[in-house]
Amino acid sequence: MGTQKITIEPVTRIEGHAKVTIHLNEQGAVDHAYLHVNEFRGFEKFCEGRMYFEMPMITPRICGICPVSHHLAAAKASDELTGSTPPRPASLLRELMHMGQVIQSHGMHFFELAGPDLVFGFDADPATRNVVGLIGLDPALALKAVGLRKFGQEIIRILGGRRIHPNFAVPGGVNKALKAEEREQILAGVDEAVATIQVGLQLIKGWAAANMEDINKFAVFPSGYLGLVTPDDGLELYDGAIRLIGQDGGQLERFDGRNYLDYISEHVEDWSYLKFPYYKKMGWPDGVYRVGPLGRLNVAKQISTPLANEELKIFKALNGGKPVENTLYYHYARLIECLFAAERVKVLLDDPDILSNDILNTHKDFKGVGVGVLEAPRGTLFHHYWTNEMGQLQRVNLIVATGHNNWAMSKAVDSVAKTYITGPVITEGLLNRVEAAVRAHDPCLSCSTHAVGQMPMVVDLVDPSGNVLQSLRRNA
Amino acid sequence: MGELNSFGDFDRSTGSKSPILILGYGNPDRQDDGVAWHILRQVAERYGRPVPAEIGEDFENDTSGLDFQFVLQLTPELAETAAGYARVCFVDAHTGAIPADVQCIPIQGEFQTSPFTHHMTPQTLLVLSETLYGHRPAAVLVSVRGYEFGFSYTLSEKTAGLANDAADWIYAWIKGPDLA
Repeated sequence: MGTQKITIEPVTRIEGHAKVTIHLNEQGAVDHAYLHVNEFRGFEKFCEGRMYFEMPMITPRICGICPVSHHLAAAKASDELTGSTPPRPASLLRELMHMGQVIQSHGMHFFELAGPDLVFGFDADPATRNVVGLIGLDPALALKAVGLRKFGQEIIRILGGRRIHPNFAVPGGVNKALKAEEREQILAGVDEAVATIQVGLQLIKGWAAANMEDINKFAVFPSGYLGLVTPDDGLELYDGAIRLIGQDGGQLERFDGRNYLDYISEHVEDWSYLKFPYYKKMGWPDGVYRVGPLGRLNVAKQISTPLANEELKIFKALNGGKPVENTLYYHYARLIECLFAAERVKVLLDDPDILSNDILNTHKDFKGVGVGVLEAPRGTLFHHYWTNEMGQLQRVNLIVATGHNNWAMSKAVDSVAKTYITGPVITEGLLNRVEAAVRAHDPCLSCSTHAVGQMPMVVDLVDPSGNVLQSLRRNA
Repeated sequence: MGELNSFGDFDRSTGSKSPILILGYGNPDRQDDGVAWHILRQVAERYGRPVPAEIGEDFENDTSGLDFQFVLQLTPELAETAAGYARVCFVDAHTGAIPADVQCIPIQGEFQTSPFTHHMTPQTLLVLSETLYGHRPAAVLVSVRGYEFGFSYTLSEKTAGLANDAADWIYAWIKGPDLA
């Protein structure tokens, strides 16, 4: 039987972006849909030959949105590699910077990328379904949202000396202690940040109550879930063990991130440059899992901060204590994590060690191999380095969150396409739903490069003979 | 009486808007994608300004009213930054979709969507500046064709030549929009 093919493609000349292809059968129903990701593996080769201690400065340039995640993961890998465990105050300061990263990244995603769909609806006129439309609707909230991101950025700037690419974490610790006046400056912004996030939570709860039909048919599917946890299986973003649960919520594994290669393998498909990580013991595709906010809240049993923990209880009740499978609840989970991060900032600043000058361990026990793991805003991030005896990198392996979620994003696209597209004509609203299935995961697809003229998206509907029946172009 | 700068009738001590921001963005690790970094350095050097020794360091801005800033990509909080200037020159790389090798165009505020993920255009940034902060600076977008996008700090020969042309244009634009 012949099929038709629809392609949603950000036209790019280089890697770092994605496209969606939707194959229709002759009845006009969706046969299958794929998300194709062009990977930036080249960065690993780029790093080979450099010195390990350069990595905390080089790898943040992978991404303009979450540079801190790469900065800290690189530092953690270098700690391991040199056998230099950071003093406790240094770990607290690194975590504080990480919380700033989570706040700014989650805040921007919710209010800028997800908010317009939630407030105006997937089918709304794109002329108004955007962040500017949101501002028009509630200018005060828009300013608060920008303020929330600035709060996170300011934490990064205070610690790292600059907002975008911090110069802070070094192998064995950090290079700058926190001053008392800087602590006060950050503390002064915590309450407002918490209040803004709570407004966002009310917004998503209200939206969810009014849109249960969409939520319950938009890319709802079982999978495993993976993320860092505290010793008592609480939510953890900076350090801890990795917990992997199955579709029913039962624990499959709890392991040290250093040993990730014993648990995670990567599958290859000929239609994507990005590999598909999966749980080794269950094999492909049974061992697929999701990471990021939804994954982390599903693997966590509680949250150490009070406001976020109350929200987690409500979240857990959505599916009777079983893993929450709805892709659109990524947005909800993201805000709960953001609330945790803001509360955690205060906890860290109240720690007596936070102003300590004991911030660097200069003792080295060089091992030549190191793994750094943390929870980037989008999910679990692995940096794995191998060096020669001089500390020159011989091999680098990075598994980024977008990689872990590669299967989930493609599955979500397939599910949404099959649910909503029933004929040969694709409306803008349907197209937006397909995009939203990807956006919910907050992937980092465009971070590597992004020149002018690079981002238009083309949707072609092609009949079995190769004739273009419909072509949609979205310029950006 | 506050300090008057060299780039227009501007008194920084009164809090009035700074005249000019040269805002470059791109990824200098990816050859021509980071051409803006090289252009900003050229323009800053022509004014005898210190330039960052390495990527990631900020440009040192003084009280002259001519500021330089380089970022990996545009982000929402830059809307507030842009709103603090009378004129902004965005500097970027471009691809084959744009016919000119060096394109210098005035831009207005216009929301432009990003289908999948984080990508903000200067036009969107200007909308945010006006809507959130009540001021949209007069703006131009200077973009230079990129030819090579490998993992390297070095520009391709062709783009390096075009970067000189772009720096010339920006130098003239700083002196006065009508001169460019």
